[in-house]
Amino acid sequence: MSKLPETLELCLATTAPAGIEFTSKTDAKGVSCAWCTLASKDDLLPAATFMKNLGARLSTITILQPKAPATPAPAEGEAAVLPTFFGGVASDGKTFEINYHFDVNGDTVTLIAHVPFGGNIASLTPLFRCADWPERELMELYSVVVSGHPDPRRLFIDPSIDGAVLERLIPFSALANSATTKGLWEKIMAQTGSKS
Amino acid sequence: MSNFTIPVGPLHVALEEPMYFRIDVSGETVAHVDIHAGHVHRGIEYLATKRNIFQNIVLTERICSLCSNSHPQAYAMAIEQIAGLVVPPRAEYLRVIADEIKRVASNLFNVSVLAHLVGFESLFMHVMEVREMMQDVKETVFGNRMDIGANIVGGVRYDIDGEGAAYLRAQLDRLAPAVAEITALYRTNGSILGRTRGIGVLTRADAVDCSVVGPVARACGIDYDVRTKAPYAAYDRLEVPVHTLADGDVWSRAMIRLAEAATAIDLIRQCLDQLPDGPISCTSERPPIPPGEAIAKCEAPRGELIYYVRTIDSPRPERVKWRVPSFMNWDALRFMLKGAKIADIAIIVNSIDPCISCTER
Repeated sequence: MSKLPETLELCLATTAPAGIEFTSKTDAKGVSCAWCTLASKDDLLPAATFMKNLGARLSTITILQPKAPATPAPAEGEAAVLPTFFGGVASDGKTFEINYHFDVNGDTVTLIAHVPFGGNIASLTPLFRCADWPERELMELYSVVVSGHPDPRRLFIDPSIDGAVLERLIPFSALANSATTKGLWEKIMAQTGSKS
Repeated sequence: MSNFTIPVGPLHVALEEPMYFRIDVSGETVAHVDIHAGHVHRGIEYLATKRNIFQNIVLTERICSLCSNSHPQAYAMAIEQIAGLVVPPRAEYLRVIADEIKRVASNLFNVSVLAHLVGFESLFMHVMEVREMMQDVKETVFGNRMDIGANIVGGVRYDIDGEGAAYLRAQLDRLAPAVAEITALYRTNGSILGRTRGIGVLTRADAVDCSVVGPVARACGIDYDVRTKAPYAAYDRLEVPVHTLADGDVWSRAMIRLAEAATAIDLIRQCLDQLPDGPISCTSERPPIPPGEAIAKCEAPRGELIYYVRTIDSPRPERVKWRVPSFMNWDALRFMLKGAKIADIAIIVNSIDPCISCTER
C-alpha cells in the first residue's frame, strides 16, 4: 500500500525526456522507497520541480564517487568496452553520483544524477531552501561544481584548507596537527616567525 | 539607533558545543544572523568507509551522545534491508524500548537547559534530577549512561527478563507523575511563560520552507513523525499519538518535548505489555552483506534521522551518509531570531535542541 502516486514513474519519465530508470519497493510495513536514475543530469531541475509540486520535502543529498567495476580483458582484436552508468556517463571511478533523497509523506523517492569528473550540476537551492547546506557540503567534499548556488561558501571546512577533501588521501599526521598543544604551538611559532 | 555586529559563540551559546553566530543588531534587536559551522567537523563519514560494516555500528553510536541509539539503529536498518534480514519481533520491541528511554532523557535534558537559560536554577536542577531516573534505567538495563550499545545488525544485544521489566515499570511509575508535574509547571509558571511565550516564533509556512523536522516542526503544526508516517521496528503495532501545537514559539517546542517524553513512557509500557517471546537477533554470526543500497529513517529525539548506505563487494561500505534532524533546523533560526532581543538569543538557539556534533560529523 504505497503512498506514492501510481503515476510517479510515468510523470518522472515525462519530465525527464532523456530517459529514466525507475525501481520501487515497498517493505512489509508498507513504507515505499523509489529510485529514479536520470539519463541526463540536465533533467534534474525539471524532475526536482515535479517533486516540489508533488509536495515532496528534500531530505538530504548524498554524493559519492562509485568505484569502477572490474572489466574483463577484451578479446584479441576487439576494443575494450568501458563500463558506463545508465545514460552513458563513464563509470571510471571518478564520476560523481549524486542522490537526491525526497520524502513524500514518509515514503522516499531518490533522484540519481551522474556527473562526469570536472562537470557541474544545477543547484536545487532556488527551488528547495533546505538544499543550501547539503550543496555547500558536497562542494567542499568533492570538486563538483554546483552552478547557480546563491551562496557557495564553505560550510564546515575552513577556507584555508584545500577543497575536495574526499578526493585526496590526507595523512593522519597532517590531519591531526593540533593533536598536541606543543605541536600546534611550534607550528604557529614557525608560521609567525616568532621566537618562543 | 546604533547598529553593531556582535559575535555569539562559538563557545557556550546555550550548550557546551560550539557554533558561531555573527549577529547584526540594531539597538537591542537582532536584524540579521549569519551562522558559521565547522568547529567540531571530524570527518566521520569518511571514517565510516574505512571501517567494516559491523564496526560501523560502534562508530555511528559515537557520532552524538544524546541520540546515540538512533544512529546505530537507522544504520542497522539500512544494512538489514540490503541483506534481506528480518528482525525478530522481540528485538523490534526491544529497539523501541531503547529508543524511547533515550527520548525521555534527551527531551528532559533540553527542557531543563531551558529553565537554566531562563535563570530558574532550582527548576533546572529538579528536571535534571528527574532525568536522572532515566539515566539510572540506562545504567541498570544497558550498563552505560549514554552510549547504550543496544543495536546490532539483525536485532539487539540486550534482553529484559522478568526482574528487569519489573524494575523498568517501577522506574516509569516514579517518573510519570514527575514528568506530569514538570509539564504543569512549564504550562503555568510565570517566569517560564514570560521568557518563552511568543519568543522565537517560526511560522508554519517558514517551517515548511526550511523543511524543519521533529518537535520544531510539530510545534508549528506540521503533523509529521517518522514513527507514524514510515513505521519501523514495532511502532506499527503501538499506539503512537503525534503531538502538534500551532504557535511555533519557544514554549510550544518545550511543551511538545514534554508531551513526547510522557508519550515515550507510555510507549515503553505498551512494549512491556506486548513484549513477545523469541530470539533477540535473527543471526548469531555476522551475516554476509551483499552489494546494494538502502535508505532507512527513524525518529530520533530531535526528529527525522535518515541513513543512506551503499555496499559493494567489500567488507567496507562504499558510502554511508546520514542527515541528522539538527542539520535542517539550524536554518530556521534565521527566522526565529529575526526581531528577537539579544537577551533571548540563547533561549531561542536552545529551543531547536541543537546537536552540533551530529550536524558536523
